[in-house]
Amino acid sequence: MKLNTPVVTLLAGLVLGVGVLVTSAVWPSGSSAASAGNPYGATSSPAATTAAPAVSSPATAATTAAPATVAPTSPAPTTAAPTSPAQTTAPAATSSQTKNVPSKADYVGKVNGGGAAVAVSVSGTKAVAYLCNGGAVASWLRGTVSNGKLNLTGKNGAHLSLDYRKADATGSLTTDGNHYMFSAPLVHRVSSLHRQPGLYEATAMVHGVKIKAGWIVLQDGSQIGSVEYDPDSAIPPTAQAPVLDLATGTAQYDGVTLVASLISGISGSGF
Amino acid sequence: MTAQSDAPSAAPSPVSTGIGKLIVPSLIGGLVALTLGIYGRLHSPTGVVVNIAGFSSAGYVKSWLATIATVFAVVQVISALVMYGKIPRVTAPSWIGTLHKWSGRIAFLLAVPVAVNCLYALGFQTYSTRVLIHSILGCAFFGAFSIKMLILPKRGVPGWALPLAGALVFTVLVALWFTSAYWFFSTFGVHR
Repeated sequence: MKLNTPVVTLLAGLVLGVGVLVTSAVWPSGSSAASAGNPYGATSSPAATTAAPAVSSPATAATTAAPATVAPTSPAPTTAAPTSPAQTTAPAATSSQTKNVPSKADYVGKVNGGGAAVAVSVSGTKAVAYLCNGGAVASWLRGTVSNGKLNLTGKNGAHLSLDYRKADATGSLTTDGNHYMFSAPLVHRVSSLHRQPGLYEATAMVHGVKIKAGWIVLQDGSQIGSVEYDPDSAIPPTAQAPVLDLATGTAQYDGVTLVASLISGISGSGF
Repeated sequence: MTAQSDAPSAAPSPVSTGIGKLIVPSLIGGLVALTLGIYGRLHSPTGVVVNIAGFSSAGYVKSWLATIATVFAVVQVISALVMYGKIPRVTAPSWIGTLHKWSGRIAFLLAVPVAVNCLYALGFQTYSTRVLIHSILGCAFFGAFSIKMLILPKRGVPGWALPLAGALVFTVLVALWFTSAYWFFSTFGVHR
């Protein structure tokens, strides 16, 4: 019997792993609301039907009626939320204007397959999107919201179309002949981070050449960034961006300090 | 012994006759690592994570679990050195075997949810050197650990096999920690 214990250990690990996997898989997509003291939580996301306290109860009833833009009138920062003050990053939708597109929202996420990240920020009738892979792929797109639809275009035929569902922006983006599908969740505030998840941009002159860096800081605090040399040229050379220091909001590039600014539909910065 | 040894190039020396017993565990370990890697590559990362109350983000949950696992792994190495009599003037106490077994079990069981989270939410990624190394080693760790567990109960394996496997598991885990938790803490600060 004694001989089997290592195998028992392995099997216990296997069982635990499958257990965690199943838990992750069946967890509702608003998963992070799992724990009450959690800064992701309480963002009245429709999927947070599980344990989410106070806030979401009126909203949950309304989920079926207004899928994308729950939290219409719901609560100002005075929520009972324990940790973080500025929780209401959910789209402050004005349902009169546009049915599907929240007037202010920020989304970040990996594209399907994980090879790149995408950020979409909507502020009023304007929208900005960025896709990069932490390497040679970087694409900025801008556009307007009209008739409840987003139409964003960028350089070299880059095009993005979006579909709002629940707390996600689901869509596809074509740039340089590559096609990316994504489903990016709403940005939630993370109290532990000095710089919040979202889209960051910095431009600078480095040794006489203009560079433009873009970073997508994901909900888990990880980041993906690319930097374009001579971004106004037709096809700018693009490489991995230097690490964005989330404490200072700066990055070091060839001895030059880049100062990143947040592009956020929620706060309106960068628009 | 020699009859059942199917090691292809086994030298005539009696020491190497047990090498054949390492083949099956090694193949299984390789398969484990490969399976994890293929899953991580093919499965679309969800980004969805189950957070634990009291932590600010899943990144911190994982970093702390990995750190505790690495501390237990250090206990592993020290207790193993004591058991093998490699530490001068220290004789192995009777409980050292228990300490070694349980520190290993705990370290392993702490590492499992971290790995599941990584593979499920993030996948096998290659977008930077750190990430690539981490992805490869993450898969290799569970392969190496499987090998070690499978040769552990076997009799007649070469004396160097177990220390080698143990050292491999430890080295990979420490490298994993440096490419993940250490990076995470140094990037985002040490807190919960």
